Amino acid sequence: MLLIALLLPLVLQDYLTVFATRVIILALFALSFDLVWGYAGIMSFGQALFFGAAGYGVALMARDLDITSIFLILPAGTLIGLIAALLLGGFLLLGRYPSSVIFVSLGTLTGSYAADRLARGWYYLGGQNGIPSIPSLSLGSTDISEGPVYYYLALGILAVVYLLCRFLVRSQFGLALAGLRENEQRIAFFGYKAQHLKAIVFAIGGAIAGLAGSLYAFHEGFVWPNILGVVFSTQVVLYVLFGGSGTLIGAIIGTVIIEGVSFWLSDNYRDVWPIILGVLLLLVIMFRPLGLISFVLGERERVGRFGKAPKETRNAAP
Amino acid sequence: MASSFAAAFEIVSFGAIIVLVVLGLGIIASMMGIFNFAQGEFVLLGAYVTYLASAHGAPVWAGMVAAPFVVGALGFALEALIIRRFYAAPIVAMLGTYALGLIIRESVRSLIGGFYLTVPEPIGGSIDIGSVHISTWRFTIIVVTLVVMAACYLLLSRTSFGLRVRATLENPALARASGISTPLIYGATFAFGAALAGLAGALIVPVFSLFADLGIRFLIQGFVAVMVGGVGSFIGPVAGAAVIGTLSAALPWIMSPVVADVLVFVLAIAFIKFRPQGLISGKGV
Repeated sequence: MLLIALLLPLVLQDYLTVFATRVIILALFALSFDLVWGYAGIMSFGQALFFGAAGYGVALMARDLDITSIFLILPAGTLIGLIAALLLGGFLLLGRYPSSVIFVSLGTLTGSYAADRLARGWYYLGGQNGIPSIPSLSLGSTDISEGPVYYYLALGILAVVYLLCRFLVRSQFGLALAGLRENEQRIAFFGYKAQHLKAIVFAIGGAIAGLAGSLYAFHEGFVWPNILGVVFSTQVVLYVLFGGSGTLIGAIIGTVIIEGVSFWLSDNYRDVWPIILGVLLLLVIMFRPLGLISFVLGERERVGRFGKAPKETRNAAP
Repeated sequence: MASSFAAAFEIVSFGAIIVLVVLGLGIIASMMGIFNFAQGEFVLLGAYVTYLASAHGAPVWAGMVAAPFVVGALGFALEALIIRRFYAAPIVAMLGTYALGLIIRESVRSLIGGFYLTVPEPIGGSIDIGSVHISTWRFTIIVVTLVVMAACYLLLSRTSFGLRVRATLENPALARASGISTPLIYGATFAFGAALAGLAGALIVPVFSLFADLGIRFLIQGFVAVMVGGVGSFIGPVAGAAVIGTLSAALPWIMSPVVADVLVFVLAIAFIKFRPQGLISGKGV
C-alpha cells in the first residue's frame, strides 16, 4: 500500500495529486482522533478544535510575522495543538472526580462549536471568510507549493507519525491505553493514574491534529471557520468509525475510502452522497461496530500487545 | 422603560424557544439515558412538515398540529428499528443517532435545496401595550411552551403512564418483573420526545424560517442546557434550558455578541465540571 502511495503522483494528473495530498493530511488528522478514541476511549467530538487552532495559528504567523519556514511552521502548529489539547483536556479530564464519558464528549463538542463561533465573529481572524491567500511553505529559499513535492512531504510525515503511533500503542503505555478503553476501573485498580494517562494521550492527539492542521492551512492556502467547527469534528469521527477505530491503519483506510468515494461521486451524485454516507455509517455502527477493518483483522488486534507477538496473529499485521 | 420591556420580552421569548426545543431532548436523555443527536433533525422535520402543509395550501396551523404526530410516529419507528440496539452503550448511541440525523438532514437538504424558506405566522400582527409592540406569534410561543411544559409535568408525575415511565427508568428489571412492557415504554418515551421536537420545530419555523441546518443550531445549546440542568429528572433539563436560553439572549445586550456567545458555553462547561449533577440533581420528575 505504501508502494502505491509512493508511485501515485507519477500517474495522477496535477489536480488529483492535490486531492491526494489533502486526503493524506486528513488521514493524519484521523490518526489523531483514532489515538484518542480508538485507543484511550476518550470521545473527542471536538478534534477539529486543535486542527483549526493550529491552522489559524500558523496562518497568522505567515500573515503577520512573515514566517513560512517549514522548520518553524510545523513545530509551531504541533505545539499549538499540544497546548490547546493540554488545556482543554486537562480541564475536562483531570480533577477530583473522574469525568463521565458523556461530559467529555459534550465538552469537546461545545469547545469546537464555541471556537467556530468565535472565529466567525472575530474580525482579526477574518470573520466568516477566514484568512485567505496564505503564502506557500518554504524550505530555505525554495517554496513548497501544492503538487508532488507537497504530496511527498505529507506522505512522509504521515508515515513517520504512523510509525511513532504504532510504537506508542505497541508499548506498555499502549497496552494501558487499550485497558482504559476496555475497563477503566480495573486499570485504576492496577495503580495506573487513569486520568493522567487520558490527559497525556489527549494531548498527543491534539499535537498530531495540530500538525495536520498546519499542513492543511498551507496546502489549501486559506483557513476558514469551518475547519474549527462541529461538522469537521464529526467528519473525522466518521472516517475512523468507518475504517475501524482502535487500529491505526483503520483510520487511514476509512479516510481514503470516504474521501475517495465522495470525490468520485460528487460530480454526479452531489445531493445523494451525504445521505448514502449516513446510511452506510449507520449500517457500520449497527452491524460492524469495529469498522470495515474488522472484516480483515480480528478483535485481538485492537487490544494491542507488548513484548513477543503471539504466534497465531503474526501474519495478521499490520 | 419601553425598550427594557421589549428587551425582556425578547429574552423571555428566546428562553421559551430553547425550553421548547430542550423538552424533548431532556425527556429522552433523562428517562432513557440517550443523548439523541438526531433531536435537532426532529426539530427540522417538524418545521419541514409545517412548511409542506403551508406550501400545499393547507392552513399553517394544520401543519403545526400534524407535525408532532408525524415526527412522533417516525420517532417510534426509528426507536423500534434502530435506537433500541444502542441502549447498552451511550457513546455508540450518540454516534448512531448522529448518523441518523445526518441522513435526515441531508434528505431534507436535497428536498429543499440550499434555500431559506419562509412560513407565514398563523397568528400575525402584534400586541400593543402602550408604546411597546410585541409579536403576537412570539407571545403565543411563550404561552404554548408553558402549557406543554405543564402538560408534560402532569403526564409524568400524575398519570399511570408517567409512573410506568419512571419505574422503567429507575429499575428496568423490576419494572419488567412487575409486568411493565419496558420496550413499549421506551418506544413510547422516545416517540413522545420526538413529537415534542416536532412541535418545537413547527412553532419556531415562522420565526427562524426553514433551512437544512435549523436543527444543528439548537442541538448543542440543547445538550449544554440538559447537562447544566442535570440529567435524570424532568425539571432539570427544563431549568437548564431556561438558564441557558435566558443567558444567551440576555448577554448580548450587555457585551459584544461574539464574546457573549462563547462566554455562555464556557460558563456552562465550567459549571458542569464543578457540579456534574447539574442544577437539580436526583431522579424522578
